[in-house]
Amino acid sequence: MTGGPAKDRRIGVFLCHCGGNISDYVDMEKLREAVKEELGVVEARTTMFACSDAAQQEMIDAIQKERLDGIAVASCSPKLHLFTFRAMAERAGMNPYQYVQANIREQCSWAHRGEVDKATEKAADIVRAAIAKAGLSEPLRPMRVETKPQVLVVGAGVAGLRAALALSDLGLTVYVAEREERIGGWTARLGAMFPAERRGTEMVQELERRILERENVTLFTRAEVVEKSGSVGDFSVRLRVRETESIALNVGAIVVTTGFDAYAPSDGEFGFGQDGVVTLPEFKRMLDEGEGPLARNGKPVRTATYIYCVGSRQNEEAESPNRFCSRYCCTATCHAALVASRRDKNVRQYHLFRDMRTYGKYELVYEAAARKGSVFVRWDPADPPAVSRVDGHLVVRVKDRLLGGEALEIPSDLVVLVTGMVPRENASLVNALKLPVGGDGFFNEIHPKLRPVETVVDGVFIAGAAQGPKTLAESVASSLAAVSKSAALLLKGYVDLEPFVAEVDPLRCTWCEKCTEACPYGAIEKVAADGREVARVIPSLCKGGGACVPVCPEEAIDLLGYSDREIKGMIDALAKEAVHA
Amino acid sequence: MADDHGLVAVTDTPPSPPSRSGETVTHDVLIVGGGIAGMESALSLGDMGYRVLLVEKAPSIGGKMVLLSKVFPTLDCASCISTPKMASTAHHPNITTLLYSEIETIRKDEHGLFRVRLRKKPTFVDWSACTGCAECEAVCTVAIPDEFNENLVARRAAHIAFPQAVPKKALVDRYGTSPCTFACPAGVKAHGYVSLVRAGRYEEAFRLHMEDAPLPGSLSRACYAPCEGSCTREGLEGTVPIRAIKRFMADRYYASHPVPEYGPPDTLRRERVAVVGSGPAGLSVAYHLARRGYPVTVFEAAPQAGGMLRYGIPAYRLPKDVVDRDILNIEALGVEIKTNTRAGSLSELTTNGFDAVFLGVGTYDGFALGVDGEELDGVMDAMDFLVQANTGRLADLSGKTVMVVGGGNSAIDPARVALRLGARKVVIQYRRSRKEMPAHDWEVDAALAEGVELRLLETPTRFLGTGGRLTTVESLGMRLGDPDASGRRRPVPVPGSERETPVDLVILTIGLKPSTSPFGDEVALNKNGTVKVDAETLQTSLPHVFAGGDAVTGPSMIAQAIGQARRAAFYMDRFLRGERLDGLRFDEPLPVVDKADALARTPGAAPRPAMTRRERSIEERLRSMVEVELPVTEEEARGGATRCLDCGGCSECHECVHACPAHAFRFDMREERIDETVASVIVATGFELFDARRKPTLGYGRFPNVISAMKMDRLLAPTRPYNAVLRPSDGKTPDNIAYVLCTGSRDCTVDHRLCSRVCCMYSLKQAQLILGALPLADVTIYHIDIRAFGKGYEEFFEQAKGMGISFVKGKVATVEEKADGGLIVTYEDIEGGGGRKRMEHDLVVLSVGLLPNREALSLFPGGQLQADDHAYVREMDEDTEPGRTSIDGVFVAGCASAARDIPDTVLHAGAAAAQTAGYLARSRRVR
Repeated sequence: MTGGPAKDRRIGVFLCHCGGNISDYVDMEKLREAVKEELGVVEARTTMFACSDAAQQEMIDAIQKERLDGIAVASCSPKLHLFTFRAMAERAGMNPYQYVQANIREQCSWAHRGEVDKATEKAADIVRAAIAKAGLSEPLRPMRVETKPQVLVVGAGVAGLRAALALSDLGLTVYVAEREERIGGWTARLGAMFPAERRGTEMVQELERRILERENVTLFTRAEVVEKSGSVGDFSVRLRVRETESIALNVGAIVVTTGFDAYAPSDGEFGFGQDGVVTLPEFKRMLDEGEGPLARNGKPVRTATYIYCVGSRQNEEAESPNRFCSRYCCTATCHAALVASRRDKNVRQYHLFRDMRTYGKYELVYEAAARKGSVFVRWDPADPPAVSRVDGHLVVRVKDRLLGGEALEIPSDLVVLVTGMVPRENASLVNALKLPVGGDGFFNEIHPKLRPVETVVDGVFIAGAAQGPKTLAESVASSLAAVSKSAALLLKGYVDLEPFVAEVDPLRCTWCEKCTEACPYGAIEKVAADGREVARVIPSLCKGGGACVPVCPEEAIDLLGYSDREIKGMIDALAKEAVHA
Repeated sequence: MADDHGLVAVTDTPPSPPSRSGETVTHDVLIVGGGIAGMESALSLGDMGYRVLLVEKAPSIGGKMVLLSKVFPTLDCASCISTPKMASTAHHPNITTLLYSEIETIRKDEHGLFRVRLRKKPTFVDWSACTGCAECEAVCTVAIPDEFNENLVARRAAHIAFPQAVPKKALVDRYGTSPCTFACPAGVKAHGYVSLVRAGRYEEAFRLHMEDAPLPGSLSRACYAPCEGSCTREGLEGTVPIRAIKRFMADRYYASHPVPEYGPPDTLRRERVAVVGSGPAGLSVAYHLARRGYPVTVFEAAPQAGGMLRYGIPAYRLPKDVVDRDILNIEALGVEIKTNTRAGSLSELTTNGFDAVFLGVGTYDGFALGVDGEELDGVMDAMDFLVQANTGRLADLSGKTVMVVGGGNSAIDPARVALRLGARKVVIQYRRSRKEMPAHDWEVDAALAEGVELRLLETPTRFLGTGGRLTTVESLGMRLGDPDASGRRRPVPVPGSERETPVDLVILTIGLKPSTSPFGDEVALNKNGTVKVDAETLQTSLPHVFAGGDAVTGPSMIAQAIGQARRAAFYMDRFLRGERLDGLRFDEPLPVVDKADALARTPGAAPRPAMTRRERSIEERLRSMVEVELPVTEEEARGGATRCLDCGGCSECHECVHACPAHAFRFDMREERIDETVASVIVATGFELFDARRKPTLGYGRFPNVISAMKMDRLLAPTRPYNAVLRPSDGKTPDNIAYVLCTGSRDCTVDHRLCSRVCCMYSLKQAQLILGALPLADVTIYHIDIRAFGKGYEEFFEQAKGMGISFVKGKVATVEEKADGGLIVTYEDIEGGGGRKRMEHDLVVLSVGLLPNREALSLFPGGQLQADDHAYVREMDEDTEPGRTSIDGVFVAGCASAARDIPDTVLHAGAAAAQTAGYLARSRRVR
């Protein structure tokens, strides 16, 4: 390819009226006159609606008849119709990446109503730039990566186990890596759970039974991911199993369901450390053991006091505060209180809460607890409850905001600290998978609504409470959502990636590493070329962000589709009119 | 680790449909609902290679999410994050979207496949042609509350659902045919021209009328206006003055266009048409056929064209210059009207080269009364009298006594004409009482006002005269007996009640019969003299001869004659082109709109001061044949038109049809039924918002400044209606805004004890956006708890507190309105010392909750799709089998099974997609 628009290029220009949206403010005939003689242009015409089926067919005919090798459509924002016209070019047999959209609606006609002459001039500039780019464009092909129909699930809690079953249903081969000896995570240790009163232990046993039936699921326990290479659709992963064995896997996608940790109160936090002060998980174990009225160390529990939001919704005075709400604990505590009152209908229960977050249908759990006699006391974070021991008895002092701040003293046999979820310590996994961690310490999705289980690492998905506090049902729903995304990626057999990636000229590169430092995706590797160390862009990792291009002191890097040559060509075209004016 | 399960191999081409026992499916999955849940499931399954049918009842995908302002906790613009999903869904090769369509039923058949019956509602726009340019919106004359803007503003009947709609296609709201238009026998779109006049587009109104009928001037005077008779406004202060509006538009047009603005068509067809009679029917047929390019010759025996318009209707009702100008509309097309010329026989017409004939002769022949002395000079038939009066051949009646016999409208005209000709005394004699008179009340009233007398319960028995000239009428008194077949009480003679009255002129209005006798040998006639025709095509016993107007119906309304002419012209055109006449219907309007429905759609409609019609003074009237009714002013015409309730939605003004550069409008589009067979179903029907009117103490629906949070979201949206946050009552910028959380949630008084999950957060979001728009405003959030439980939500709550938003724990009991539109909120101030407190706010926003969309449950017959205790679709095992319902192969996604925020909805929809894919894969392996 030569620099500057070659005379032998055959460029078509299509100028869209947009039914008056553009033509009311831009003189379309003048515009056509202004651009039809541009270098390489062999066809320039106007059309009422370029996006209409009829106009697209006309363009296809023109591309084929005039053997066009580049086109510019001057119309609306590419946000609207980039893919429309790319597909049109493809149908016409042209390389779709040699189509350029010039936005003369949002960027011109709509912005300059009532100034036809100036708007027309500006439109001509924009179109000239697009023509220049089309004239310099090179045929690009999307990068097709073959995908491996195998998935690694990291973490064998309920979310991970359920994901494994769903992936297996879809005919994908599944490897599950669990760090612990046992599978089932927190749920395996739980008795009756809200909302359906199912027992966690039984639920995990059932899942385990189903997993073991599957021939395309392999379960590794005491297994950790130590290394990952490759890219979306084709990862190589190394597991260390039982501290000795090393297992190499080749998978197309990775689903991370590593769950959460329970908040561990520090000594003295709301009386923690004193006899009779327990955390919510400890209390739930108490509820699951034995029958009849609750007892602790042989002493009956006649009064239980729950202090909510321990380790959650922390204010800024804490050292590294957990600002987030742990979401599940209000309902879990109300549910635990219901279980407690089932065991002993006379048990007195005081719930010291901040906001009762029994959202959605869980509201009924709260309501039921209240009906069973639980008393709810609202405390102020500026004046939190204090747990002390008076004459060997636990006493909780709290000011009840619902009673105008009246100070209460609640002698308690048991104080339950309603501890929330915290991010699990997973440094080696984070490091191996390059997992993004959010400000709250949980794994971060790309976008909570658009791409809630995807991470910035294509092909690596996150789900369950590893991503943030969730109930069991919510964790499972998110893990199945990750199954959907994995299946969408892998069932097709390949993945097409946009060709707009950086390219290194090995003759110029001096391996100064500036580009690797600039690349947020780790897409640049060091390779040997003719005995020299040079940088190479791994196309499947490159996002075309372009951060590497300007930092290269040798100007050895170019971005396909947005090459320096194309951008300079566009600038020259834009400046052309200014010079003549 | 053998993989004997087999991959569900998915390549570029979608998998072939599952086939069991020879059954095939049209799609692998049906997804009901195109909101964020439906789209997410569709995209996941489409990406996996399954063929998805996505059915959405609205004209765009996107559901409720795309209408939101921004979304918590990231404050992304909802449309910016919705539209890429919408575009991907719409353009996905494996997803077929069926919009503006409703599911009727889904039945699972014996093979485990689902049989789906669908109803595709008509958009009246060919979406393959529509480019979404919105030219139609710019010209549409009907404003309709914009449901996508929570009815805060109006949109047009022809519209694009909302700016980001996908696909961006126009549709027309048509609830049916407006009663006025439906009532018009001429097929004139009354609602159409009324709405055009309302819009100030008088020439367009005239041209619309000309699409259907060429005699607007005459109709605007002489039509009995069945349109007004069926006007829904009648139920308020009175009918829209449709005829007066038409007269205004016709007069105005004629004043500026003394001659038509068009000429004959550019190219003429070979086939020639003869029209016999130049009355309203003949003229109209000539007009419609000439417009289609046929050379037309009209034969008129009388000296001037117009038939009944010219000769039958007195000039004080229909000035003859108006008739002249109307006739120019026909002549301008090149129609030749041969006056003083009888057509001759039908065979002669054929010999003379006419390929088709329209018989449009009128009813000029009066029946005989059968009374002695009827032949006397001074006894006249009403039609003869009117023809003579209209042609100025009638002698002066000064000092004479005139008796008109009959009680119909045809009696009123001669009586009033007689007065104008100077008669000393004019009497209408009728054999029953006033109540039974067939004449319109207002006509009788007008006659009485001018001095006509009524002699009721009397009938003539003999006309006496001397020298062949009438002098006396002998009459017999009558009384009313039992009702006859028509329901009117039968007149019974009273024996011995004979009396004689000196009378100079008797005018008989006994009835008229068609002047068809010259053609009786050639075409079949009915016994009453009317021409025998096919009711649909108006074809006579001779294939090339058609007939219409009074020749077919007997004496009737002008509008009916014009309507028949339009119909005849349609079929004559087909006949002349050699096309079939059967198998199609000439005009198939949408069913007429129910008036109660129309009123219900315009809850704000209230009676206005009645409009009065203005007439010339009686003295002035009686001096000449000057027109009695005075014209309405432009202001009155437009004012009258603004009273129109737009019963049918679209007025059929056809402005969109003309404005559309793509010629995409199809007013003949009708509902379509579609059957599909699918292997699985996802129910993603979303939620409904709580109707705050169910909490009357909060004043919603009564106080304009109490709004729902969805309205506030629209006020804050990037496509917001006013580009500002304003309060509705006076457009004032609110300084002090209250949020009432848990409106319709956690509330057993409205039988909704559940928490709606999203209201706390959307209220926090709105409060933050309000502070962005109105930095000095005070925002108070009245709440029970603040449930900021999701990822980043608590931080969002803290951010709101940091911005100075006030939080008051306490449920609002009542809202009262002050005279200035301000609102007093009464609440229990739980944490501020307790007790009942009152606080004034400029604007109160009700954070309404989410309710189940019960439509989901009726998709399947017989309650097969189980509901939970709250009428949400039941998930059989919410913990480990999200999305699975009571029917194997049917899954639920998003808010159809529980209130969810958007992130949870997206996750749940992804899970439902995985479940569906698993089901499909399993059922294929089973095969």
